[in-house]
Amino acid sequence: MKVNFAKLSPFQVDPEKIEALNLTAADFEAATNEEKESVVYRHKSVSYWRDAARRFRSNTVSMVALFVFILCLLFAFLGPKLIPYNYSDQYRSSQKLSSMQYSEDEQKVVALSGHCDAFFATVLQPGSLTAIKKGDYFIDYGGKTYAFTLKKAIEKAVLALDADAEAPLFVVKMSDINEDGSFDKSTPVELSEAPAEGASPIRLSTGVFPHVFGTDSSGRDLMARTMFGAQVSIIIGIVAAIIVLIIGSIYGAISGLAGGAVDFVMMRVVELIYSIPEVLIVLLLQVVLTDPLRTWFDAHKSGIGAILGDLGPGIVSIFITFALLYWVTMARIVRGQVLQLKKQEFVTAAVALGASGTRIIRRHLLPNAVGALVITTCLQIPSAIFLESFLSFLGLGVSAPMASLGSLCSDALATIELFPDRLIYPAVILTIIVLSLNLIGDGLRDALDPRLKK
Amino acid sequence: MVSYILKRILAAVATLLVIMAVTFFLMNAIPGNPFLSEKASAHAIELAFKKYGLDQPLIVQFKNYVFNYVRGDLGVSLKMQEGTSVADIIFNQGKFARSIKLGLAALALAVVIGIPLGCIAAYRRGSWLDGFLRVMTTVGVAVPTFVLATLLLAFLAVKLSWLPVKSGELTDFKCYIMPVISLSFYYTCYLAKLTRTSMLDAINQDYIRTARAKGVKTGVLVLKHALRNSLIPVITYLGPVIAGIITGSFVVESTFQIPGLGKYFVQSVMNRDYPIIMATTVILSALVIIMNLVVDIAYKLVDPRISLTAKEG
Amino acid sequence: MAENDRLIEVKDLRVSFFTPAGEVKAVDGISYSLGYNEVMGVVGESGSGKSVEAYSIIGLLQSPGRVVGGSITFEGEDLLAYTPEQMRQFRGNKVSMIFQNPMTCLNPVYTIGNQLTEALTCHDKGISKQDARARAIRMLELVGINNAEKRMDQYPHEFSGGMRQRAMIAMALICRPKLLIADEPTTALDVTIQAQILELMKRLQHEEKTSIIFITHNLGVVAEICDRVSVMYAGKIVEQGAVNDIFYSPAHPYTKGLLASMPRLDEDSHERLIPIEGTPIDLLNPPKGCNFAPRCKECRKICLHQKPPFADFGNGHVSACWLHFMDRARANDTAKGASANA
Repeated sequence: MKVNFAKLSPFQVDPEKIEALNLTAADFEAATNEEKESVVYRHKSVSYWRDAARRFRSNTVSMVALFVFILCLLFAFLGPKLIPYNYSDQYRSSQKLSSMQYSEDEQKVVALSGHCDAFFATVLQPGSLTAIKKGDYFIDYGGKTYAFTLKKAIEKAVLALDADAEAPLFVVKMSDINEDGSFDKSTPVELSEAPAEGASPIRLSTGVFPHVFGTDSSGRDLMARTMFGAQVSIIIGIVAAIIVLIIGSIYGAISGLAGGAVDFVMMRVVELIYSIPEVLIVLLLQVVLTDPLRTWFDAHKSGIGAILGDLGPGIVSIFITFALLYWVTMARIVRGQVLQLKKQEFVTAAVALGASGTRIIRRHLLPNAVGALVITTCLQIPSAIFLESFLSFLGLGVSAPMASLGSLCSDALATIELFPDRLIYPAVILTIIVLSLNLIGDGLRDALDPRLKK
Repeated sequence: MVSYILKRILAAVATLLVIMAVTFFLMNAIPGNPFLSEKASAHAIELAFKKYGLDQPLIVQFKNYVFNYVRGDLGVSLKMQEGTSVADIIFNQGKFARSIKLGLAALALAVVIGIPLGCIAAYRRGSWLDGFLRVMTTVGVAVPTFVLATLLLAFLAVKLSWLPVKSGELTDFKCYIMPVISLSFYYTCYLAKLTRTSMLDAINQDYIRTARAKGVKTGVLVLKHALRNSLIPVITYLGPVIAGIITGSFVVESTFQIPGLGKYFVQSVMNRDYPIIMATTVILSALVIIMNLVVDIAYKLVDPRISLTAKEG
Repeated sequence: MAENDRLIEVKDLRVSFFTPAGEVKAVDGISYSLGYNEVMGVVGESGSGKSVEAYSIIGLLQSPGRVVGGSITFEGEDLLAYTPEQMRQFRGNKVSMIFQNPMTCLNPVYTIGNQLTEALTCHDKGISKQDARARAIRMLELVGINNAEKRMDQYPHEFSGGMRQRAMIAMALICRPKLLIADEPTTALDVTIQAQILELMKRLQHEEKTSIIFITHNLGVVAEICDRVSVMYAGKIVEQGAVNDIFYSPAHPYTKGLLASMPRLDEDSHERLIPIEGTPIDLLNPPKGCNFAPRCKECRKICLHQKPPFADFGNGHVSACWLHFMDRARANDTAKGASANA
């Protein structure tokens, strides 16, 4: 023995301490299994998805991003229902307003609204509808029905209601309204007992809803357009991402599963598409597709043609572009996942049991690759939104009266010096949408990738 | 190495041929033709078609393009500068040079600023600087190029008048500032993010632990051991960055009114000037393909595990 | 003097990881000393804290891990009081370390030669390039790498697993350290390569007179190379002693369990292997009593309430288990009975 181990031992056994414990034989009765179990702290076992959900929820940044994105969705899809303006209506008297600004006519009406209970102003109606035509009308207001017949059209005037006045319903011409809202002259409207048959309703308003983001040079309300544009951009992003997801995963799965020569050829095609600077082709495609698509939409007014026709040729050709060129990254990822999973035993077992190729893809491979798919799809949405805004900027995306966040930005460029906020609003919302989607994608990656599990 | 490069060049030529075919197909599918206008009579159009060989079958036209390109003849413009040689328009009028200068400057800026920022953020992980850079880069990759370009224009040029509104022919250093910043900002942020991630990844590797166990100084640890490994994923991303910068130049050239190749391409598509569409597509694609080759060779220099000859198998 | 026999002395070392879920006491009060020219094995299953303990000696603990108590003395100097720069100069020079996975432990983008000479140059600024290279080549030859001159300029991916581990050993020993910490150096290798590497380490230990702390979960490897063994369970040393004592008269139920779960060629091969049942405890919520109690076949009531003290069996063979004190309890009872009777 080369070393004296006793000398090296740092352990000092202290007999007195042991003595002080006063051990008894009772202490040395065998412990039962229940007693042993009771001292063990057991973690609840959680499933992969539960665990991923927990990780995502504990990621503050991603949760905030998710919340912000939900706000954006509400803004885009619920917002248009809450404001009285529409993305395509042109308000002739309210062109080129800055944000929160009222036009002269609107100011007069606002002032007038202090002198009556409710009103209907022809100048605040969109487009050429600046008159109420001859005919029978009725108004429901404050639990009462006011029926009347117009002998001639009312133009550039306000139909006002003052329930306490002798003649509750009267017409004031815009030119008769003073700055403080008082008016010198008004024409009472003769009321009838009950609405005539076929009378049309008129809805009165009590105030003028402000143009929060201002209006454009055609008098369209920019907040309504921004809401609608956000809607269009989000739809483009999601649909394009789904297209990419479907084509990419089918292509990648086939390539990975088939292997051999098929895989080789399919991957050369992917490499070729990958090395093409796609924007050049995208630009050409946009120009090529727009006219044929328009013709096709005109010919097919029902079913799918109607839905696509509503979106317009610009957006549909963006979808086609994505279907043709942008699925390659997804295909590569799916193929990688498939190759990785193919080696695993449960797939071999499925093959041995005689499962068909499609069944293997559907039941075994895709559910396992779903983490990678979710992340890539989520990050594809912002890239589609970006591409659309880029094309709209070059004048190739959606065209007025349709709007997307990109086209709103590019429309705003012409007047950037006078109305910088016209660019700011859509640009900020575009940035917020893309930012929140990126952060959600990052959070999903952290939550779904078990390799990062700590 | 040489045989690898030769193989790659062959592959590049094949890719270019496919791109030519696709472009040819697409540009002929654009409705209308270059000579269509209110004044032009059917007869005049027919004459013009004959003159430029557009009356020949498409396959012959395509064959002519390919043969002429092999000879180095890019054809003549049909509309935008009718009769002028395309090579003259692109190379002698400075369009190509301007686009290249802009692109290279933006690429250089993205690399020179983005990668070091990513390293610093990773090295000082958790510090206020890291936090600031993370916020900046995350927001940076969410701002579209044209928004940034327009905001710079509105603020620095229009409001403050510090820089020229129109960058024009890039005669002055000042003309470069805004276009290059807007072109490179997204990629600077992206590269910084990517470098940070891969640097953190590298720092957690076993070989870093080995180096620390050897007593290697922290500075050497980061700059020698971690950096080179973390550059590998960054370099793979440079290919798409280059393609993206060329893409972005379309927007930047039109915002800052620079007569470059990108802007000219968009105009030529609108005008259906076939030879110019074809030439710009081929030149820009060739540029991207060559840069990708350079990136792949750089990849080999950084990572000894990649053997360029074996990769083709 | 006894002090001079000790190369390194660890006293009541405590290392904790501060995770979001709470403090994990990875090493919970361990003590040992190591003499010059001695090989000590540290045995335990994964998560028992054996690597963490080694990392705290060489100063490689990474946040959120931190030494929270105890002392480490190396040749009379307090390592925990070292500045980061002192620690850096100490690492690789006086103490070096080799790791489990040779596939990932070498930097893939630098040549073997570069990485070998780096170990020299970062401790000896004055050494010339030629000297460093010559020394590195000699070192490679020493660990049994043929054609060392040519191998110097190759990259790690051109080496096999066993060759890489040889290069790692050469790199660790190039500065002639007094202590080598080997963290499962053979676990990731093929069995035949394992034997070669063990043989090599034995030979080098003999030639260079380096002390080794050999961390492993494989008792067979311990028997092969070590003089003394510490058995660790859940952050604590449960038994320590000369390798023969541990193998032929194990005292602690955990050590007995480990030995029973190990295949032995020298004994009746019909005997069944007996695995230790249950899983290691959750270090976030350690039990109040003996850490091994929930898995212990011999578990007594007291084991669930109180940490067991060490019992000394002579020649440095100690074991922390209540069972060793059963006689004492009987004696107490008899004494009490006697006094009650009186």
